[in-house]
Amino acid sequence: MGKKKMTPEQQKYKELEQKYELKRPVLKNCLRAFLVGGLICTIGQAISYFYIYFFNFTEQTAGNPTVATMVFISMLLTGFGVYDHLGQFAGAGSAVPVTGFGNAVISAAIEHRTEGFVLGVGGNMFKLAGSVILFGVFSAFVVALIKTILMQWGVL
Amino acid sequence: MKKTATLMLTIFYLVSLSACNNDGPKTSGLALLQTTHPSPTILSENKDKEMDVAKDVEREISKFKELYDVAVIKKDKEMLVAYKVKHLQRFRMKQIEKKMTKLLEEKYPKYTFIVSSDYKIFLEAVELHESMKNPNYSKKKAKERFDRIVKLRNELT
Repeated sequence: MGKKKMTPEQQKYKELEQKYELKRPVLKNCLRAFLVGGLICTIGQAISYFYIYFFNFTEQTAGNPTVATMVFISMLLTGFGVYDHLGQFAGAGSAVPVTGFGNAVISAAIEHRTEGFVLGVGGNMFKLAGSVILFGVFSAFVVALIKTILMQWGVL
Repeated sequence: MKKTATLMLTIFYLVSLSACNNDGPKTSGLALLQTTHPSPTILSENKDKEMDVAKDVEREISKFKELYDVAVIKKDKEMLVAYKVKHLQRFRMKQIEKKMTKLLEEKYPKYTFIVSSDYKIFLEAVELHESMKNPNYSKKKAKERFDRIVKLRNELT
């Protein structure tokens, strides 16, 4: 969008608005997201080693059960109302790891519980998480296609 | 208050349900945390002659600067080489593996090599090495275990 010519009133309003607007603490938010996100990933790493140690999973195959466990834990925490506080505090740090996926599913389910099980919970559960699944599957498809073609050509 | 109690109870259940697994690691439990440097393990009859080859292989692999721990297990013509890569070199893990396989296959064309940088494979190799110290541990069992490790290494999903 190009710059529009503003009327004097708009100019005045803008100045007023800038005076009262709260400054976003970007650095603080980044730091919090870094710390909490890192903590979540550390827990994930620990769970991954747990699967390597006590079950027959290698580093390659331990990823799948680890993701499932992390999503399950975040679903439980969302249900108990703990994850909301965490999300408020950490922002992107709690939304970007897979745990954010579990949170998105369960919070939508809780929100629409009053509308009934079929049309409410069933229909709205994947309101947010649906886009994650769609774009995840689609981008995985594209990447796999590129890899297959490259392997056919003998580049990889 | 009630919420906290429920949460604590859930955590308690999760912990108590996931505890107690008898197949867990025994003596080799710390193999992932510290360098162990196990000597090569031989799963065939004439040990002395084959030990030389295995030791040779281990020395050859130890020359790689990117690694810090190597375990070699030999079963007839198959040789399992498990190693741990230094943390910052893990970006180049694929290249290291390729280089190593090429070097080993050129130097010892008689043997088939199974090369792996996976922690799990290393852990299993050390465990097998530990159980071989027990004289009652049968060769047949050890060979079966070796095959299981190889199968585990080839698993992808």
